[in-house]
Amino acid sequence: MILTGTKMRLPAKPSATLWALMAVVLVVIAAFLSTPYDPTKADFLNRLAPPSPQHWFGTDHLGRDIATRVLYGSFWSLGLSLCVVSIGAVIGTIVGLIAAQRGRWADMLLMRVTDSFFAFPELIAAVTIAGLFGPSTMNLVLALIVVSWMKFARLVRSLAVAVVQQDYVLQARLNGLPAHLVLWRHILPNVLPGVFVLWTNSWSRTILAISGLSFLGFGVQPPNAEWGAMLLDGKAYLHTAPHIMIFPGLAVLIAVLIINLTGDRLRDRLADEF
Amino acid sequence: MNAFLTRLGGLLAVLFGTSFITFAVTYFAPGDKALSIAQARYPGEMGFDSAVLDGIRAEFHLDRPFLSQYLHWLADFVTGDFGRSYSSQSKVWDVFTGNLAETITLAFTALTLGLTAAFLLAGLAVWKQGSLLDRFAILLASVGAAIPSFWLSILLIMLFAAHLGWLPAYGTGTVANLVLPAVTLAFWVMSSQTRLLRSFLLEAYAQPFVETLRLRGVSEREIFFSHVLRHAMPPALTMIGLDLAGLIEGAVVVEIIFARSGLGSLLAGSVLARDLPVVVFLVMFFALTYVLINTLIDLLQIVMDPRQRAAERAEA
Repeated sequence: MILTGTKMRLPAKPSATLWALMAVVLVVIAAFLSTPYDPTKADFLNRLAPPSPQHWFGTDHLGRDIATRVLYGSFWSLGLSLCVVSIGAVIGTIVGLIAAQRGRWADMLLMRVTDSFFAFPELIAAVTIAGLFGPSTMNLVLALIVVSWMKFARLVRSLAVAVVQQDYVLQARLNGLPAHLVLWRHILPNVLPGVFVLWTNSWSRTILAISGLSFLGFGVQPPNAEWGAMLLDGKAYLHTAPHIMIFPGLAVLIAVLIINLTGDRLRDRLADEF
Repeated sequence: MNAFLTRLGGLLAVLFGTSFITFAVTYFAPGDKALSIAQARYPGEMGFDSAVLDGIRAEFHLDRPFLSQYLHWLADFVTGDFGRSYSSQSKVWDVFTGNLAETITLAFTALTLGLTAAFLLAGLAVWKQGSLLDRFAILLASVGAAIPSFWLSILLIMLFAAHLGWLPAYGTGTVANLVLPAVTLAFWVMSSQTRLLRSFLLEAYAQPFVETLRLRGVSEREIFFSHVLRHAMPPALTMIGLDLAGLIEGAVVVEIIFARSGLGSLLAGSVLARDLPVVVFLVMFFALTYVLINTLIDLLQIVMDPRQRAAERAEA
């Protein structure tokens, strides 16, 4: 049942995953404040040191503290992907809403454009765009936005088409409410829960994409401490210093796992409400 | 038939849009294309006369406006003339077919391995629902979906190639070379399919017909294999179809990491070398494959699911 006043309620009792999420965030903030190392400053006397009490995760080929770099990497990986997904979600939602509300040829046209973009496998499009326009953080972000909005457009359109036909929407239009206000007040609130679920899902996928592309050399460039770029840096020392390759990958795994689990909980909860 | 025609119309529109986007991206990419061609054609030379560059521009129609170039390229593409690679001067089609087999071998091996594992795991999880085995299957699937495939490849290389020395880390050719890349990809297929299959099977078991069959005395084995599995197949097929894009992407990444020859390595190399004819062709190929496979699965579902067949007939 879709109602106008459906609000997202905070869970009365935070779930275990939510506690885990908050714990991780707190640990990360505490570590940021307490780490004595610089993420990009080299220390050649301390190259490739294995994990020790001074360097918890060891040091890399330039003697930089890996633990510190993994921490700063969370800014790159989580932050960048958050930007990409949020911008993609906004673009997709706008496209989907317009398609659903205008209907007819506007709907046709917008959905065909969406389908055309959808035909490109994400990573392949991103490799091509980022590669041709020159590997850099900016181009990576642009490439990922180009390939991320379509899912939102499809989802929002399919949800909004049902809402547009509701009586209260018709009533609002008969009352002379301008089209953009109908969208904003009556249709948008009903599609947001779905968008939010897809948003968490896409967030974790984008983290994987950013680190993967950076690892292949198409994204964030060393010496920036992005997790994928760190792994690329360490690839040459795979045999001599395997610890370099462990922790950044583990960071990606944990981040994606937590976001996925939170997203699953969210989906279950929202499924109950509808 | 009607369903087939509407889908064909949509397919054509999408392919048209796809080709336009692909061409536009390469058109607006920075860098002088004539210079890339000249550098590939006369290796070793540094400076080029503007006369030489202008000659190349005229030869490749680079001096025309965007729309004219696009239509020219589209006409060539549709008639099967894919041009020549800038760097090797050989036909794009030959470069492509030379690399196709490796990628198909990898993708098919991984898909077979991954789906077999997924069916087994999901089947066991549903059979012993709520047991430790069930939980283990879910955990494995969650971790598998979160593990970056490039990192999994590194871990496998570190363990089986660097530490144990059982398998070669890099290269193409032998079966031993195929194992690690295929396992990496298969793990991804398995983790993305297990949870879905499990929920589809559970949903099928919840259908009223299962109880009816039980009351009629049909054996559990027959219920599973000829009724439940059949009920779960159409949605499972759709998800497998959607996963194929991921499989292609995964193959691209895995090929680059394991230094295998194949379409992925070819794409990465061509992008970096600005070998635009090869890039355009490969991107179009991947998009075409993805769209065609999903259309096929769409149609296959109508054939497989009697209810959808009836719905299509009712619409027509």
